Amino acid sequence: MLWPAFNDPVHDSQRLFRQLLQAMAEPGTLEMPRAPEPPREASIGPALWGALLTLCDLDTPLWIASELDSPALREALRFHTGCPITEDSAAAEFALLTSNSLAQGIDFSIGSDAYPNRSITLLIALEHLEASGPWQLSGPGIADRRHLDIGEADGLMARLGANRASFPRGMDAILTCNDRLVAIPRSTRVERTDQEVRPCMSP
Amino acid sequence: MNGYNFAYLDEQTKRMIRRALLKAVAIPGYQVPFGGREMPMPYGWGTGGMQLTASILGADDVLKVIDQGADDTTNAVSIRAFFERVAGVETTTATAAADVIQTRHRIPETPLEPGQILVFQVPIPEPLRFIEPSEQETRLMHALEEYGVMHVKLYEDIARYGHIATTYAYPVKVDGRYVTDPSPIPKFDNPKLHMSDALMLFGAGREKRLYAIPPHTRVESLDFEDHPFEIQAWDEHCALCGSDHSFLDEVITDDVGSRMFVCSDTDYCLLRRGEVA
Repeated sequence: MLWPAFNDPVHDSQRLFRQLLQAMAEPGTLEMPRAPEPPREASIGPALWGALLTLCDLDTPLWIASELDSPALREALRFHTGCPITEDSAAAEFALLTSNSLAQGIDFSIGSDAYPNRSITLLIALEHLEASGPWQLSGPGIADRRHLDIGEADGLMARLGANRASFPRGMDAILTCNDRLVAIPRSTRVERTDQEVRPCMSP
Repeated sequence: MNGYNFAYLDEQTKRMIRRALLKAVAIPGYQVPFGGREMPMPYGWGTGGMQLTASILGADDVLKVIDQGADDTTNAVSIRAFFERVAGVETTTATAAADVIQTRHRIPETPLEPGQILVFQVPIPEPLRFIEPSEQETRLMHALEEYGVMHVKLYEDIARYGHIATTYAYPVKVDGRYVTDPSPIPKFDNPKLHMSDALMLFGAGREKRLYAIPPHTRVESLDFEDHPFEIQAWDEHCALCGSDHSFLDEVITDDVGSRMFVCSDTDYCLLRRGEVA
């Protein structure tokens, strides 16, 4: 069965892009995009499918983690976006993955100091996503601080937290769960608040 | 309008600009190269800002366009008419009623609200360009955070004039990392960039660069401890609304030296006069 896409591609993708832009500009705020629902057996929800339809086209190599990959997804992407699907994760502009995929040490581009924009944008499917919880976000776009609960995904948050060390190089992430999405760009400081953080000053 | 896509640009171009915008927001102050398109007007008239506006604009958005603060100057009128024609969007002159505000060289006096987007037209996006003409070199300087030369330029002002003589396009540092050109806004407007509630996007059409300052982001104007950053001040008040705190334009009224000072932000001035009257 062919997956559904936008009824009105011009205006639906514009509306969804503005929600992505808003999410990226104010990291940690939940956006609930109105997006077409993939079939029941699909590995990704409407928010993630909508983001793919909005951002991907012939110019954007996409890498897909094996746990999300399926012939139906590839068929849908090829038909609706025409984006090339690549096996070379380092050459991808977008990556479709779960919170576990990052733990496998996949090589993604984080850009160079001269061109930090030539870097991956992670599109992540989560089981759980709430705008309160143990993960504390601060930095540009956040007036004071915001909180997130993304379930069992410490490895993912540790990786996104490490962005600060390589800044301006880094990876930007759009986290989705069913019909919700949230963005964590590389400029965001990520900390876990339910455990004491003792900065170690000795080498 | 027949024969054109909504908001003039084709969808693939919009997607390319949208992807670049997301990267720009993720790396505040960094200039992202983009595939600038030809617009039906010459470079220098706001083609960069227009391409950003066209890429973000939706059918339900209300658009405001200002040129040096005014809604009724040539550049503002023609860009507003352009988007009325190719996107059919509602336009306004009221700052508070607008969702997207495209601006040339001013930030409105009325404080911006969360959710509003300010799109700046940028002639030369590289703040280091007048010091270092080579793009390769300036890119390396940004990569290495090598910004000492910018302070030398400001110091030379002090050595020559006794104060920092840069009055517009005054360089800022965004979130403590990138030195960025705020576009030729008067330095009077620089403090409004700091911890703004609104998202600010910058587009340079000729140079094909775009960059962003997200809301709630630290933006410092470069200065020295003994020569702190200062904004312009006037002894006069606005001759029309009496404002003593807005950016004033000096208007020559005849050929024998008569002059008056008026708010450069026409919407703000009209709003005040409505209240005063």
